[in-house]
Amino acid sequence: MPFSELLVELLLMPILAFVIGLVMVLMMRRIGARIQRRVGPPVLQPIYDIIKLYSKETQISHGLMHEIGIIMAVGGYIAAETLLPVPGLDGLADKGGAVTLAYMLMIPALGMALGVGQCANPNGSIGISRALTAMLAYDIPFILVIFGASYVYGTTNLAEMISIQQQQGVSSWGIVQMPILAITALLILPAIMGKHPFEIYVAPSEIATGPMVEMSGKFMGGLFVMQCFQLYTAGVIFTTLFLGGGVYWITFLPKIFLVVAIPMSVAYLFPRYRTEDVLRLMWKWPMLLGLIGLAVVMK
Amino acid sequence: MNELDKIPVRQEISVADGSAKRSNPLANVFDELVRFCQSRSMFMLHYCTGCGAIELPPAMTSRFDMERLGIQPMVTPRQADILLITGYVSVKTLKRIILTYEQMPSPKYVIGICSCTVNGGMYWQSYATAKVLREYIPVDIYIAGCMPRPEAVISGLRDLMGDIRSGRADNWKRYFQNYDYYLGNQQKLFGEDWQTPTDIIAEAEHYGLMTDQTLGEHTALLQKHQQPLEALEFSLGEKREKIQGENR
Amino acid sequence: MTALDHLLLISAITVVIALLAGNRSFGGWLVTILYALQGAALLMMSGLGYSTLEVVQSSFRIVVLSEQLLWRFDALSWFFALITIGAGLFSSWFASGEWGRKYRDNGGNLRLFHGALALNVFSMLVLLASGDLLTLFIGWELVSWASFLIMALAGGKAFGYAMRYISYAFAGAMALLGGLLLIYAEVGSFDFQSLKEAAPQMQTSTLWLVVVLLTAGFGVKMAIVPFHLWQAKAYAETPGPGAAFLGAISSRMGLFAFIVVIVQLIGISRLVEMEIPFTFLSAQDLLAWIAVFTIIIPTYIALRQHDARRLLAWHGVGQTGYMLLGIVIANDLGSAGGLMHVFNYASYQAMLFMAVVAVMHRTGTSDLNKLGGLFTRMPLSYLAMLIGIIGLAGLPPMNGFVSKWLIYRSLIVDGSPLLFIGAVIGTLGTILSVYKLIHNIFLGQLRVEHVAVREAPLSMVIPMMLLAVVVFVTGYFPGLVLDWTSAVQASIGIPVLAHHLGGVSISGGLDMIWIVSVLLVGFGFGTLVFFLGGRSKRVHQLDNYAGGHFLTAETRYHYSDNFYPGLMHLIGPWYRNSFEWLERGVISAVDTFSTAMQGLYRNAHPSYLLLAAVVFALSWVIV
Repeated sequence: MPFSELLVELLLMPILAFVIGLVMVLMMRRIGARIQRRVGPPVLQPIYDIIKLYSKETQISHGLMHEIGIIMAVGGYIAAETLLPVPGLDGLADKGGAVTLAYMLMIPALGMALGVGQCANPNGSIGISRALTAMLAYDIPFILVIFGASYVYGTTNLAEMISIQQQQGVSSWGIVQMPILAITALLILPAIMGKHPFEIYVAPSEIATGPMVEMSGKFMGGLFVMQCFQLYTAGVIFTTLFLGGGVYWITFLPKIFLVVAIPMSVAYLFPRYRTEDVLRLMWKWPMLLGLIGLAVVMK
Repeated sequence: MNELDKIPVRQEISVADGSAKRSNPLANVFDELVRFCQSRSMFMLHYCTGCGAIELPPAMTSRFDMERLGIQPMVTPRQADILLITGYVSVKTLKRIILTYEQMPSPKYVIGICSCTVNGGMYWQSYATAKVLREYIPVDIYIAGCMPRPEAVISGLRDLMGDIRSGRADNWKRYFQNYDYYLGNQQKLFGEDWQTPTDIIAEAEHYGLMTDQTLGEHTALLQKHQQPLEALEFSLGEKREKIQGENR
Repeated sequence: MTALDHLLLISAITVVIALLAGNRSFGGWLVTILYALQGAALLMMSGLGYSTLEVVQSSFRIVVLSEQLLWRFDALSWFFALITIGAGLFSSWFASGEWGRKYRDNGGNLRLFHGALALNVFSMLVLLASGDLLTLFIGWELVSWASFLIMALAGGKAFGYAMRYISYAFAGAMALLGGLLLIYAEVGSFDFQSLKEAAPQMQTSTLWLVVVLLTAGFGVKMAIVPFHLWQAKAYAETPGPGAAFLGAISSRMGLFAFIVVIVQLIGISRLVEMEIPFTFLSAQDLLAWIAVFTIIIPTYIALRQHDARRLLAWHGVGQTGYMLLGIVIANDLGSAGGLMHVFNYASYQAMLFMAVVAVMHRTGTSDLNKLGGLFTRMPLSYLAMLIGIIGLAGLPPMNGFVSKWLIYRSLIVDGSPLLFIGAVIGTLGTILSVYKLIHNIFLGQLRVEHVAVREAPLSMVIPMMLLAVVVFVTGYFPGLVLDWTSAVQASIGIPVLAHHLGGVSISGGLDMIWIVSVLLVGFGFGTLVFFLGGRSKRVHQLDNYAGGHFLTAETRYHYSDNFYPGLMHLIGPWYRNSFEWLERGVISAVDTFSTAMQGLYRNAHPSYLLLAAVVFALSWVIV
């Protein structure tokens, strides 16, 4: 495809990701409110929050690495979104597959970790230590899921996976071909999104919101933007692997919102697990299910 | 009753115009939009200083739901816009309140909930409380009561939202512009060597909010006692004085 | 005189000059220049790296017992020699200048250090140039002794660890010798070609014995499980840049020998045919699982360390597993990944060790619980360490990502999910442990006693920055290194990876040029978004949220010890020190046996000897 078209696609994908992510944040807060029998915030609330954060007139920074960390966090996600194919926009999906995407998604986390490190606040450092531990916990079943999906579709290219599922109809969707792996992925989805009961790295009442402890103004705004991208990416990856992606936006959007809504509904019913309980849980059931699913798929 | 009628509900205090240097490039273009968003997205610091704190959880939870106004609790002062002083202010607490206030990013708003912040309330004769809060930090809105019900709290917050939208709620600038006055009151209460890790004068200078009222005799006392705390800057090999035990 | 002769000659001269002039301040620089000359001599043979040259012979040959010993370079030797000379060059550069002066002033033997480093490089070149099995063994022994020298010269604890190493190395060398003699008995010659022709016909039982002995011999040097115990402590205690050099390339000599003998001559396909009875595993599977355990166990031991050098040394042990895994899987992706990982790992391990030594030079300690916040004081060392840890963790945009991607892809293509999970578990453990490394040294609260610390001197900073450039550029354009690995693959006879400058040209491949460019542009947009906000003010580290507490310089407000308590609470009991128990068991068994032998020899010796002589005489007379 001509270079200028590709460039337009690359510009459009992060913008779409951000906008859809904003709506997902709103959905998350509304679901939480309804479960708690409240009304919840108005429709444009995430936009108000972000504009307010970016319009703060004084904010503190703890140094160059603090600023670079936030830049890496936002910039890394903007770059990672170009590897995630969506209806009509394939972006760079053929230049690097699912494994590349999984590793690209670690760059913004690393950036944030370095930025938090320079804040010189132990609450932040503890938060990062817990975030990395949680990543160790959920990444192992996650990698099982990716391996299974690559095996079933015969490729790690996400765009090819979508086209295979679309061409062969609903019976070739991931959720039909590998249901156990789909359940595994659904079990670890709250951990990937950092939601209860696996939300150990924010933990407001234990470690003063962990990494966000010294983030003010535009720094906090950067983390909000990162959260929008995070929800969007988790939803789209699951949909791509198991729900056949989408050819038109009108069928794609309900799928990703449904995928994100399910862990959200569960999240507000649970308190937080301890760190080692998160590890134990993630390494017991999702891994067992993942191994069984893999065995079923590979026989 | 005559006395009560004379107390003004709204007191106009003139604010010196320190907004010459606006850092934000889009500032003057989108001012109204920004103020609207600031009013509809307020993060309150979940630091409830006194007995009035009991009225906050009902305001946050299902019955009165502050989140539909865009107000959510945040944990650290760095993340918060509103500081709620709920209840009496003991001298010990006042030190932490001032530190917390100074650590918050601007624009920030202080709400004095309960009558103790207005004039000392029930503890007007106590040796251990501060009676008039606005002598120590600028206060934007008072919600009198002992204690005010959640409906009153929410009504007060909505008044604050209106103030923000109309641009009247910029008392945070007064702290930088009249720092000497506030510091003087603080030093009267805490002693001459009162200091916080935050550097207000440097901040005022950095953001162009300094006036001739910022420095004075009290800040001179502060600078006499203060350990200067500058941000750690990069050093790529300038010679520094060796301290004992270095370079083993 | 061929190019190889030039190279070996310059290398020998380097050793002599290092021993003569190493103590002077110009000695280190002279030696560094000589390493650069060695590099130039290597570049004259650069056709080997691009498949335009087959082999470069040496004119030096000797004949022993009607066996002709010859030395030659092929693509594999060239690739490893490039890494060796590069590592030697940068380590020597680092050691010249202020580090060397301080080392000498503190009583260290700088002459011996430079000499040992040069001797290491020379002996490695001799090993890499081996043309048949006997020269391989000669080179192997030289390398072992040179490594011992550089590990032991610091004395004290280092000597103890070096003695442990040499015990392992002796055992390994004896196993190696046994394997080689077995081959000679079977094949009749030490020639490479004869072994290659005879291997398909060899009996499986003999071949098993050969493979086990050779793997044990090479494995001791590579420090694969169960021989992994000696390496970390020995490398950690080696003085400064010596540790950087050893960590970068020394244990890869075992991998080189493994590739030469087992992959090239015996062949992985032959290994696949060798099945372990009563299981469904073949020899190749066994090696792959050894590699995976070598990835996992040392990486999680590294997680527990609180000395920075020991942490890095344990990671060195673990990353060897990736290289072995890639090579053993033996499709085009895996072998390219394993070979590229040797290069990548050398580049960032040297840089990481240099950064840690620089910090030690300035602060006097490498204990992670006694450092913190050095980012503003040593920003360039921080940059070097940051690029190093991104590479070690295998994240884009650095070169470590490409080699790890190749290995993962080869496992997916091969269809081995459990090996894949093992490799990923190793990467995740690495990410956790390197974050702890960089956080405890450079991030967090700056200690009062370290406020006056300066950046490391130029002689240390420049090699680190050059290596950082190498890591970034080979990550951006992995085709540069993949050219060399493809030449190696072609010369060994395993399938060659189709690649281009940016990456791999298979379907569902990798194009690093696009990915890194998009990442950089993304950072640009991130910066734009960042500057949409207002101005920020830099504040002191004591202006921090502490729950309303007034922080002072006396307050330790830093989180460093026991960095992963939740994880350690869960997996702590799984560290049973079983291998150390095994090692102690072997030691006490050998000890008992040697005491028994000593008793026999000393006490009962005269009477037994008389008895044996009488019996022998009688039997000779009678029979």
